[in-house]
Amino acid sequence: MPEEADVVQVTDRSGVKLVRIISSSILREGEVESFGRSLLALAEVPGQRVVLSFLGVQHLTSLVLGKLIHVHKRLAESGGELRLADIDPHIFEVFAITHLDKLFRIYEREDEASASFAAEAEG
Amino acid sequence: MLSRSPDTDNAYPWTEKVLPTQLEAIREVEGDIMDRLAQVDYDEDLQFAIRLAFEEAVVNAMKHGNRMDPARKVLLTYRVSPECIEIRVRDEGEGFDPGCVPDPTIDENLQRPCGRGIMLMRSYMDTVQYACRGKEVQMVKFRRSGGGGTKP
Repeated sequence: MPEEADVVQVTDRSGVKLVRIISSSILREGEVESFGRSLLALAEVPGQRVVLSFLGVQHLTSLVLGKLIHVHKRLAESGGELRLADIDPHIFEVFAITHLDKLFRIYEREDEASASFAAEAEG
Repeated sequence: MLSRSPDTDNAYPWTEKVLPTQLEAIREVEGDIMDRLAQVDYDEDLQFAIRLAFEEAVVNAMKHGNRMDPARKVLLTYRVSPECIEIRVRDEGEGFDPGCVPDPTIDENLQRPCGRGIMLMRSYMDTVQYACRGKEVQMVKFRRSGGGGTKP
């Protein structure tokens, strides 16, 4: 679906899906829904490991948090995991206030999050 | 979108807008509020806090109050001054008891996808009150309080 390509960009690095959010502010209903659909599509692969980068994202709402929780649960059900990276300090504060920093594993940078999966696979 | 400023005698008049129940409609009003905040030199932290609380309030009104019914409207009233911003958001839903909204931060609720909007509004604004049986939320943010959110 064309609008989904506008919201996130997905690449593969050694089996880990790296997802970058293209829109700096996800609010429109279509964008939030497209964002959720794009991530949920990744969860259809059993054991899928996903790193979601928030690089460039300066604003979000609880609608996006709800989508992240949904994706997190779906991935966990199939033996996969969602890890987050590149979160702006303002956005990180939102995660901390809502205690979602306890639910998600959050890394400073995308490559650190990706490497954490690789390290676990080797270990 | 209906727009008017009912209190033109005031240096910082109230602005009233009636929004359709469409998330896209939020952006235009949000842009107006952000412009006014910038005009009176609210810093980046404050702008982030106010924008987040405003969006959460309007999204709640549309999704939970009006249940995305396009026949229902959202009434916005706001005023920006150098001292504070006051925002009122009223929907045309059935109302609710904010005291009955479960705490999204306790472990058993952490994976529930909903319930964080009110919490974020309370964290980032100085006062958040409900009127009209929950159909209207009234929020104030004082400039001197700074922009950071507060953990519950």
